[in-house]
Amino acid sequence: MHNFACPSCGADVAFRSPALPVRVCDQCRTLVVRYNASAQAMGMIADLPFDVSPVQIGTQGQWQGQGFDIIGRVRWSRDDGAWNEWLMLMADGSHGWLGEAMGQYMAMREMAIKAPMAKVLRRLIDGETVLPGETATIAAHDYQVADIRTVTCVAGEGELPFSAPTGWQALSVDFRKADGRCASFQKDSRDHALYVGEYVTLADLHPRNLRPLPGWTMPSYAR
Amino acid sequence: MPADAATTRTLACPACGGTLGLRAAGLSVTIACEYCASLIDVAHPDVQIITRYNETQASLAIPLGTRGTLRGVEWDVIGWMQRSDGWAEWDEYLLFNPFEGYCWLIAQNGQWSLGTMLTAAPGYDGGDYVVDGRRFTAFYHHNEARVQRVAGEFYWRVKVGETVRTSDYVRPGFMLSLEQDDREKSWTVSEFLTAREIRAAFDLPPPPRWLPGITPLAHQPSPFAHRVRGWLPVGLVTFAVLIALFLLFGRTFQPQTFGFPVTPDGPEVSQTFGPIILPAPRQGVTIETRTSNIEQGWVDIDVALVNRATQDSYEAYALNERYSGNDGDGNWTEGSRGQTLKIASLPAGSYDLVVDAQAHHWGSAGNFDWNAQTGQYQSTGQPPVDVMIRVARGARFASNLWLAVLLVLVPPILMLILHSLFENARLAQKDGADPDAGDWIRGFATP
Repeated sequence: MHNFACPSCGADVAFRSPALPVRVCDQCRTLVVRYNASAQAMGMIADLPFDVSPVQIGTQGQWQGQGFDIIGRVRWSRDDGAWNEWLMLMADGSHGWLGEAMGQYMAMREMAIKAPMAKVLRRLIDGETVLPGETATIAAHDYQVADIRTVTCVAGEGELPFSAPTGWQALSVDFRKADGRCASFQKDSRDHALYVGEYVTLADLHPRNLRPLPGWTMPSYAR
Repeated sequence: MPADAATTRTLACPACGGTLGLRAAGLSVTIACEYCASLIDVAHPDVQIITRYNETQASLAIPLGTRGTLRGVEWDVIGWMQRSDGWAEWDEYLLFNPFEGYCWLIAQNGQWSLGTMLTAAPGYDGGDYVVDGRRFTAFYHHNEARVQRVAGEFYWRVKVGETVRTSDYVRPGFMLSLEQDDREKSWTVSEFLTAREIRAAFDLPPPPRWLPGITPLAHQPSPFAHRVRGWLPVGLVTFAVLIALFLLFGRTFQPQTFGFPVTPDGPEVSQTFGPIILPAPRQGVTIETRTSNIEQGWVDIDVALVNRATQDSYEAYALNERYSGNDGDGNWTEGSRGQTLKIASLPAGSYDLVVDAQAHHWGSAGNFDWNAQTGQYQSTGQPPVDVMIRVARGARFASNLWLAVLLVLVPPILMLILHSLFENARLAQKDGADPDAGDWIRGFATP
């Protein structure tokens, strides 16, 4: 745990993961980036719009036999809706993403794009057109391209592996496999990344410390 | 019970200014105004009207905002749409729980199903789709489902007139539906809900009972299948009990034997024997009449048990006969030298057995003399017939057993007939291949 004083408001900003460079100040929503032993303000993050997500920073759970803590979130919007990507700090110090869209959850980890991977990914990186329904082979599994959209970052909170300025635009491509596996490719003007994982239910994650939602009973699997 | 205000966001309808409660804030994309029925886009901060139509808000079976508990999970009813495929029309209610996500309540012809969207495509095996080990057979092919009316909030941009192509696969109790448009393919499993479940969850009136002549839903389970199945153990147990009762309580005991001779063509002989003590409040009595040496003749035997105290008489009659001869086919014999008579349900008491017997000889053998006393010819030289009467308490009435078995069989046969009427009506809707034996057997395997 590394603590800094927020360069903007002076509030205590704690970095729980040694690997992550970016943290949104809980107090003033300044984007704090650390360089070596110092922290620097990188602008402001918009307020997150109200939503009824049961996940929050501090939620804990289990995925693939490993405990995790939710330490950050990015909220994305697309032409018909918005979704959350929650950052999971895994027990071994690595991190994964818990995507939350339409009441469904996808747990994913970043995967390096290697040379023999799908031609589809290569074409995406090269900026060529890819159509839904095309087959893409990722890590020996055949996925179908389910969805291709331009998405916009709405806001973020907590610790993040990148600075996520409001209005940041990216191309997001979702892949699905019939057995419940899924993958997601994201590309912006500077960089691209591939995430691979599976659909999960909240109950599958044995969650603790979910956000209490007034008027709703905490489900038995989370008590 | 409405959701607490703390999880509901309100917004003003840009068309009519009405206050709308948004229940799945952050997830919902569209909300239809409950006052003016405008469709409003809530995905963007600057709320805007997508469409406006003045169709009057339908009176919904479940008002939006209703909270109900179904299978241990609380759900808010947040959206409603009415869809049609040109043949049938049905209602779909969108249910939301922030911890569980979304599911659908689908209502058609007053019957309710719970739809859950699959996150994985079902497996395909030999023409059937398989989800969680359940096999689904193709039922409806390539219909177009069109949104006709809509109200409430949705996680996508719903539009009146929006169509998807659908195909349905069925196993009784469940339906697997594929919906696809140019962008997406989605699979939903809907499970038929019982009257009790739907009533407990949303206090809805019970669905109508199926009657012959009504077309059931494609995935409606036969209401008779479980009764037919349920009868099997009951029937077997009943049958075993009947047999046991028959064997245990039908046996005879304490036999008493009486005998006397009767001369063929002689006068009727009347004999009284006793006492025969019947201790039980009610009992059957078995009387065997045996005339082991009758030849070419018959004996009429009237027996009566006469209660010594009340003089009530219980009567029975036996005809013992025996004929034999020789013709072109060889030797033949006919008739029975013994009869078993049963008298049911005699009250307790001390009884006399009164037997009247008269023997007759038939045929040409023997001599006949005029008997002046009786005024009849009588065969002479015929040996007397020995009449033996055996009286025993208890009696088995096999006919009662068969009657009981028949009665036990009546309900399942009736249910089987109704079940096959139901399955015929259900499977008659099936597209493509005709129903086969597999469909029929699955009709029995309903939940």
